[in-house]
Amino acid sequence: MSAPQTNGNRGAANRPLVICEEVSKFYGEVLGVNRVTLAIPPGITSLVGPNGSGKTTLMNLLTGLIHPDRGSIRVRDISPREPERMMRLTGYATQFDAAPRWATGFQFVATSLELFGLPRAEAESKAWKALERVSLTDAAHRKVAGYSKGMRQRVRLAQAIAHEPDVLVLDEPLNGLDPLVRAETIAMFREWGAQGRHVILSSHVLQEVDVISDQVILIANGMIVAEGEIRGVRDEISEHPSQYIIRCRDASRIASLLFNEDHITEIKLNDDRLGMLVMTRSREDFSRALGRIALDGHVIDGVIPADENVDALYEYLIGGGR
Amino acid sequence: MTTQFRMRQAWAIARIEMRRAFFSRRALWVYLLALFPAVIFIGHGIAMTYRHNRWAGQGMTTAAALDSINPRDTAEEVLKKAGKPISDRDWRRRKLMNEEETEKGGRIRRYEMVEGRMMMYYDGRRRVNLFFENGVLTEKNIRDEMNFDQDRQAYAGVFQYFYLRLAIFFGCLGIFMNLFRGEMLDKTLHYWFLAPARRDVLLAGKYLAGLTASTVIFTGGAALSFAGMLWPHESTAVAAYWSGPGMGHLFWYLASAALACVGYGSVFLAAGLLLRNPIIPAAILLLWEGINGFLPDLLQKLSVLYYVQSLCPVPAPTDPSMPPLLLTLLSPASPAAKEWAVLGVLAVTLLVLWAAAGAVRRIEINYSTE
Repeated sequence: MSAPQTNGNRGAANRPLVICEEVSKFYGEVLGVNRVTLAIPPGITSLVGPNGSGKTTLMNLLTGLIHPDRGSIRVRDISPREPERMMRLTGYATQFDAAPRWATGFQFVATSLELFGLPRAEAESKAWKALERVSLTDAAHRKVAGYSKGMRQRVRLAQAIAHEPDVLVLDEPLNGLDPLVRAETIAMFREWGAQGRHVILSSHVLQEVDVISDQVILIANGMIVAEGEIRGVRDEISEHPSQYIIRCRDASRIASLLFNEDHITEIKLNDDRLGMLVMTRSREDFSRALGRIALDGHVIDGVIPADENVDALYEYLIGGGR
Repeated sequence: MTTQFRMRQAWAIARIEMRRAFFSRRALWVYLLALFPAVIFIGHGIAMTYRHNRWAGQGMTTAAALDSINPRDTAEEVLKKAGKPISDRDWRRRKLMNEEETEKGGRIRRYEMVEGRMMMYYDGRRRVNLFFENGVLTEKNIRDEMNFDQDRQAYAGVFQYFYLRLAIFFGCLGIFMNLFRGEMLDKTLHYWFLAPARRDVLLAGKYLAGLTASTVIFTGGAALSFAGMLWPHESTAVAAYWSGPGMGHLFWYLASAALACVGYGSVFLAAGLLLRNPIIPAAILLLWEGINGFLPDLLQKLSVLYYVQSLCPVPAPTDPSMPPLLLTLLSPASPAAKEWAVLGVLAVTLLVLWAAAGAVRRIEINYSTE
């Protein structure tokens, strides 16, 4: 991810950015987020962190539901304090499970579109399309109050996407969705991300984040721990060694050779002596060392990165906060 | 965005919010407050009409004949002057004539048997009960059954003491506090904040919804109770009233009800943004409005009640036998001229809405603290 810039619409590649500069938010004496500095490019960005880490606070700050105590936020060069402009290009599906008691799913989405100044017919047509996208047309004319948790999740998603925003902020959007709808929703996020829109989501399902995200932002105790592509994040955290599982026939010999390398911090031999877990501070040096060992005639059956998924990163980077 | 677009947006918000304002379960008791005087007046009218029809069917006596009946008239003289009564009952009872103390400290009471009789007459407006003892009239009790002036006074009293001070006050509390505070409790306020609308436009839309609902409910209630007060009276008297001050009276009653909604609505809308507990602003405002009569002139003008009472066309009746403190609390301060009263309410309202607009811009969604 690029460094924060003062003008979000003129980033490194002229891409519109969502920018937080030194943003802090406190709830009385309780920390929400602290000195968060981010520049989020278009694409799918996942906010990952344990409960209470500040993900929802950050999303609420981005959408103007709460205001920072310090710092500034620009969403595609618009301040969240200008909802009239910002909410035209932003959709936010919150985690708040409540919906107006009076509304059917269709009314809920259509009435929100009327506030965009759309004529009723157009608002209804767009509402119907949004409900189609989240596979909720069958229940469209039922009261939202009678929906299941998953349906309420979908109708909130429909409301957030109905005006086809350029910035879509989604708090745990895949919670409660059945596998089919989940797959369709992920496909939609990908499509929107590929179109150059911002899709910023939070999730506890780390495997999902790993699969769908272009970028991740790891947050713990209200602070950004790491950000960037998952591999890139991993590279940035040099003080935390990468883990590799090596499958080989002569594990003891290969382990002794690897121990001669400065970048190797730890090796654990398997009980069967046919493999080992290696921790290194440098992927490149590790890769070169393995090449040399192979050229010397040692047989290496396979090398598997052991931590290149969000779970492992999470363990490494957030650790005790979990 | 143009002003015209924002006005359309505010109206769209108002249309959506009217559903909540009119049909929210929390607003149910608002209807009870608004309709209570109408129920009282209509009930009074039904009872009055029923009695009129029953007594008139038994034969009415002329007012002149009833007025000619004098104390000490005998029953025969009364029957001669007024004819057959609509009710005639007699009884015998012991009557204590005197009481003496004996030398030994005892008491002797002397009784006489008395022939009692009660005749009731009706002249179409007044019910006259005549009580006789041993055939001589001892008491003439006259009660107005259909007194238009008295009913109009009663309406003025109910309107100013109950409707303005309590019904509209608490009704607006229910409707306007619900617009923001209710949504915070329902955890649905964020949907409005995520709409592409300025916060002050949202405030305007919500205020418009509350104002429309409260004005319809309370001017409707006032008009209904006014009609309930009028309908049992003779059509000629009512027609004369309409052709005289009646229309003006109704207009100013409705205008003061509507302006009370304008004023109290803005105060409670702002209170809903600033405070969590509606009882606190309600108690403070009720106290402020209550002690208005004791305040210096300038402070009196910072009251909704002061202005809307100035618009009422008929002064509320006061009972001089009331305790002085209560009399002062209920007596309106020297009224403002009507045009100043209207401008005064609007000025107070604008001031409060301006403060509320500042508050709504600062407000944050934090349902966990609600």
